[in-house]
Amino acid sequence: MKEAVAARAAFSALLATLLAAVLGAVLAASSTPVHAQAPRAVDDYGQLQDPALQARFEHITVQLRCLVCQNESIADSNVELASDLRRQVREMLVAGQSDDAIFKFMTDRYGEFVRFNPPLETKTLFIWGAPFVMLLLGVLIVYRIVRQRSRMPLDDEPAPGSM
Amino acid sequence: MWKFLLPVAAFVALAVLFAFGLNPNRDIHALPSPLIGKSAPLFNLTDVMDPARVVSNAALRGQVYMLNVWGTWCYACRQEHEALLDIARQHVLPIVGLDYMDQREKAQQWLTQLGNPYSAVAFDTDGRTAIDWGVYGAPETFLVDGQGRVIYKFISPMTPEVWQHDFLPRIEAARRSGA
Repeated sequence: MKEAVAARAAFSALLATLLAAVLGAVLAASSTPVHAQAPRAVDDYGQLQDPALQARFEHITVQLRCLVCQNESIADSNVELASDLRRQVREMLVAGQSDDAIFKFMTDRYGEFVRFNPPLETKTLFIWGAPFVMLLLGVLIVYRIVRQRSRMPLDDEPAPGSM
Repeated sequence: MWKFLLPVAAFVALAVLFAFGLNPNRDIHALPSPLIGKSAPLFNLTDVMDPARVVSNAALRGQVYMLNVWGTWCYACRQEHEALLDIARQHVLPIVGLDYMDQREKAQQWLTQLGNPYSAVAFDTDGRTAIDWGVYGAPETFLVDGQGRVIYKFISPMTPEVWQHDFLPRIEAARRSGA
């Protein structure tokens, strides 16, 4: 008797599992859209679906100058050229291109001026170095003035040798 | 000696900087093109007048030609149109048009009403060809030699004077050097 009860329990457990599986499969199938589309890289608002790519996109576009409005980046500008260039950056990111390749693409066409943050090389040495040279110059001037003044007598102090 | 020389040197340096920076003839929007001396980007686009016809600059290899970027939205392009028609009448070289950020019907209307100086006008539907050429406005005019290299870029409306002084000598030089 005991064996019959155990067998019936095992059978109903198996049946329940099977039913659940079938139900699950049906539910899963009905939740997928009938005309399934390939996953889109960009949503309706122009955001890249991959957050890592979107972060790189934002990092790159703030560093590229919009040549129409020169002091705005292509991330900020509403000009048509800026939106064309944003599309270009997006496409290159989705195609798996590196940041350097994207910057090179832009400078090959628009020149170094397109970069707000030009790389340090021999020809950009002046613009990168000038602030430090100016700072050094300022420190030198202040140092000289301070040294000169420290050698001068204070107003309420009798000049050395006057007594 | 230093007390005198340093301020004078600083003054001269500032004067030179201002003379360059405040020069009213300097167009801060005219940027040097990195394309000069490099091979011209190739394009395969449809003709504005006839969408069934393909305009490709690869076919122009072996001759010096001019590429003029324009659009019906561009006021300065209307200003230079007369000069372009005049250049076309001289039959010195083919002028290829690149219609940028435009609508085909408007461009067709423009060419029929104002006259067509171009041997062909490529229709840049999505601005990709313009990006390849480093275009950031209109009008822009490029000069390409027989070996397909960009030899000059002019940013501003074309005038008879610019044609005489900047373009003709370069075209002759390119032809003389066999390029």
